[in-house]
Amino acid sequence: MEKNTEEPLKTAGGLYRVELFFSKRRMILIPAAFILFLAVPLMGFNQYILRIFTVIGIYIILSLALNLVAGYTGQLSMGNAAFYAIGAYTATLLLLRGGVNYWLTIPLAAVLAGFCGLLLGLPTFRLRGSYLTIVTLGFGEIVRMILMNWDSVTNGTLGIRNIPAPDFFGITLSLRNGGFYYLVLFLVVLVSAASWFIVNSKIGRAFVSIREDEIAAQMMGIRTTKYKALAFVLSAFFSGLAGAFYAPMVGYIDSNSFTFEVSSQIISMAILGGLGTMRGMFFGAAVLIVFPEVSRFLMDYRFVIYGVILVLMMRFRPQGLLGWQPRVPVRFSKTVRSDLMREGILPEGE
Amino acid sequence: MADFVQQILNGFALGLAYALVAVGYSLVFGILRLINFSHGSVYAFGAHAAFFMVGLHFGPVPAIIAAMLITGVLGVVIDRTALAPLRKKKSVSIAALVTTLGISSIIQNMLVVIFGSQRKPFPDFFNFGTLELGGVRLGSRQLVMVTVSLALLLLLLMVVNKTKVGLAMRATAQNQKAAALMGINVNNIITLTFLMGGASAAIAGGMVGGYYQIVYPSMGFMIGLKAFAASVLGGIGSLPGALVGGLLVGVIESLAALFFGSNYRDATAFIILIAVLIFRPAGLFGKKEVVKV
Amino acid sequence: MKKILIAALVILAAALPVFAGGGSEAQSDTIKIAVAVPMTGDNAEYGQTFLIAAQIMTEEWNAAGGVLGKQVEIVNYDDKNSAEEAASIAQKIVSDPGIIGVLGHFSSGVSMTAAPTYEENKVIEISNCASHPDYSKMGKYIFRNNTAITEEFKVMVDIIENDLKLTKVGVVAIKTDWGNTAGGLADKLVLASSKLQLVAHEDVLETSDDHGPAIAKLKAAGAEAVICVGMYSLYGPFAKQYKEVDPNVQLIGVSNAYTQQIIQLGGQAVEGLFAPVSFYAESSDPATKKFVDEFKKRWGAEPSSLAAQAYDSIGILLQAIKNTGSLDREKVRDAVQNINYKGITGQTTFDAIGDAAKQFTKVIIRGGKFVPYTK
Repeated sequence: MEKNTEEPLKTAGGLYRVELFFSKRRMILIPAAFILFLAVPLMGFNQYILRIFTVIGIYIILSLALNLVAGYTGQLSMGNAAFYAIGAYTATLLLLRGGVNYWLTIPLAAVLAGFCGLLLGLPTFRLRGSYLTIVTLGFGEIVRMILMNWDSVTNGTLGIRNIPAPDFFGITLSLRNGGFYYLVLFLVVLVSAASWFIVNSKIGRAFVSIREDEIAAQMMGIRTTKYKALAFVLSAFFSGLAGAFYAPMVGYIDSNSFTFEVSSQIISMAILGGLGTMRGMFFGAAVLIVFPEVSRFLMDYRFVIYGVILVLMMRFRPQGLLGWQPRVPVRFSKTVRSDLMREGILPEGE
Repeated sequence: MADFVQQILNGFALGLAYALVAVGYSLVFGILRLINFSHGSVYAFGAHAAFFMVGLHFGPVPAIIAAMLITGVLGVVIDRTALAPLRKKKSVSIAALVTTLGISSIIQNMLVVIFGSQRKPFPDFFNFGTLELGGVRLGSRQLVMVTVSLALLLLLLMVVNKTKVGLAMRATAQNQKAAALMGINVNNIITLTFLMGGASAAIAGGMVGGYYQIVYPSMGFMIGLKAFAASVLGGIGSLPGALVGGLLVGVIESLAALFFGSNYRDATAFIILIAVLIFRPAGLFGKKEVVKV
Repeated sequence: MKKILIAALVILAAALPVFAGGGSEAQSDTIKIAVAVPMTGDNAEYGQTFLIAAQIMTEEWNAAGGVLGKQVEIVNYDDKNSAEEAASIAQKIVSDPGIIGVLGHFSSGVSMTAAPTYEENKVIEISNCASHPDYSKMGKYIFRNNTAITEEFKVMVDIIENDLKLTKVGVVAIKTDWGNTAGGLADKLVLASSKLQLVAHEDVLETSDDHGPAIAKLKAAGAEAVICVGMYSLYGPFAKQYKEVDPNVQLIGVSNAYTQQIIQLGGQAVEGLFAPVSFYAESSDPATKKFVDEFKKRWGAEPSSLAAQAYDSIGILLQAIKNTGSLDREKVRDAVQNINYKGITGQTTFDAIGDAAKQFTKVIIRGGKFVPYTK
């Protein structure tokens, strides 16, 4: 695929300047933002609003997870709700039946979800594009059916109730005391950092090369099947992490919490924000969680508008609201950069 | 044994309904390589259009024909307003896919706004009695469903394989650029495909509405997913494949419900699908695509 | 990273005013009652009628001067009958100190997800439809103005044993949390009866309208009477498909079958269907008549028994506040516990765990109408 590096620069010039403005002040802004987020529970918000913040956190993790496979590797998964479900059920069952400590259930649940991600990643050896998407969709439905019908393990349609909230040095986490908020904040930071390191490593570059041109990537000696499977594993791992957090937060899980609609909501978030960017995941999750909450008065029209937004987005801004790509794909040396600046391709000042 | 045969018959009728919906997926995928997620909602729209026409005291046949026209137009509108501009801009394929997800949400929820989410009674048009043979019943509803579906599928097959328009469709499916160079108006052909997809969805909606005698806005969701699985199973893009895929899913699902209970019924379609895709990635009747560098 | 944080910051800044507006303060001149039911989605028909019933009751009180000199205000929330939505709405409700009680939620599973939040914050929850036995055990503030489903099944068993004099019973249940539990309890009660024989139990999916395989198995097992555990959406298609296979089968529904929709959807096939109900719209009782007339004016059809229980639930809550003479949550809760309320669904009292006791009438569909059953 031919990528014109000039055009996005010009169209996103204004936004790029905004980004540049912030990036120059990042040493102040990042700590400031972090402190602000740390202070949220102390700002006197009620439980309902703390819950919204916490749910946004969960969906940020889910979107970041989807982003690895769909955004960077270019393999659209429509079954990510299944990994979320596997994480939630594994953590819950380990906690209630296995008597495992809550803090251990989170990594264990993520590992099992990651393993299931490997299972789903295996057909990628043979399938491409739309066919792979279909398999992920089918996988999501099958997992949901299993959760619904495997009564002896998942308690079937009744779901699992009374999942206890975890203790942290003697304090029981709750929405009210902000415990869940801090935990999800920690997880969001953790997943963001992990995701950042993955994307900016050799693995990330392999992912992007598969997205851009799978055959060319293979020609360059990248073992595409291995990296595609790896993308699924990582995506599933992080989704499972979100699930393991979700279960004790609501205290109740059943198969209806993990439907196709959840998968398609995660996709919508990632797309709204901008697939292949990390900032987009934060933005998309926040907007699409807040939108239904503030638009309850619209009743049935809410989802009509939701659909209209998706359609308009794809028509006018398919790269997502924050999905501008001002930077040239590689980091140039100083001389090249100054050349580019002189040509006006790269804005001054970096 | 009678039960077994009976369920095969029931599954056959159900499978033809899936096939009718699957055709819509196949037609669009064949030409655009696009999973049209709005098709399930278009099907529900078709059923509601038929329901509405019946309410205006049209007879069953005029009602379904009117519904076909309206739904066909809806298909065209979807393509012209939402998808054609994306093609013009040469957007990535994921953009079109998400667009169809959005359209699906719009249609389904508009139906809720207009008609309400509840189940509404659809008149029992096709009931002229039941034939009973050795404990196996064959209802006239099933017969009507089988006849109409097969007739429609044959008609579509004729159009695609024997007419000039069909030739243009096949050419567009093979290579849009080359087809355009040969003087085919590719955009018109694509729009025509959506028209045909919409019309066949309306027939499916009317038939299934008449078969179970209910319609409701969310009726397209599950049947849409299953029909889609069926079309992939048969080999997406192939019309006979859609028929065989639909019948397979319908019959296996009914038998699975009989032997293993209804619990895993909705998963059956996907289990068969995944199993088949792993061994035959292009489906039963699909041609393997060769990627050229 | 920085871009992410910046984006998040911007959102936060944008969202703050919205949130600040969301958490409204208590207005001292009204008493607020939340109605948290499905207003959209598959069960919207139920929720919308509950809201109308609740509004009729509050308007009656307000016309008579309100409670404790204050006007009563209904705050409506749409939970879409989803546990996740309900959990969020429950947080919203308890964050509003003006709300003293909640009518809701629709299904047992959803009610039970929200219940701990209400219990923790001392908000009285009265559900007019949750029928899961464990629901009312979830706390002191959790009440049920509906009979536990076992009471209904006892009446249904009685119908089969004594009115129909049949022995072979099948059970069909929808595959949801409610259908699973209720279906299991139906099995137990049929098994416990010395005269009845449970021949088959079939689960059906709510997402499918094709019940052929389940019906084939029920028929093969020789079921003479079938207990249907489902929402209105089950009865019509199920009855139609069953009557084609076996026109003599006797279908018996639970109390939520008592709604005009099943006659619309089922037509001839639901003729002769039995249901136990605690409310009958054509009763000659003047209070019932008044409610039914008003309800018909607004909704266009007769109220179901669940809507009538919604009407009474609000009445119970307001009466309890009046009896207490204050808005002290603990005292109002005790007043609900000790109430003896005469409503249109009979005389209602609560037992220690918060379950209502009710009298049932047997109704049957004859000539396209629900009529009280007489031999």
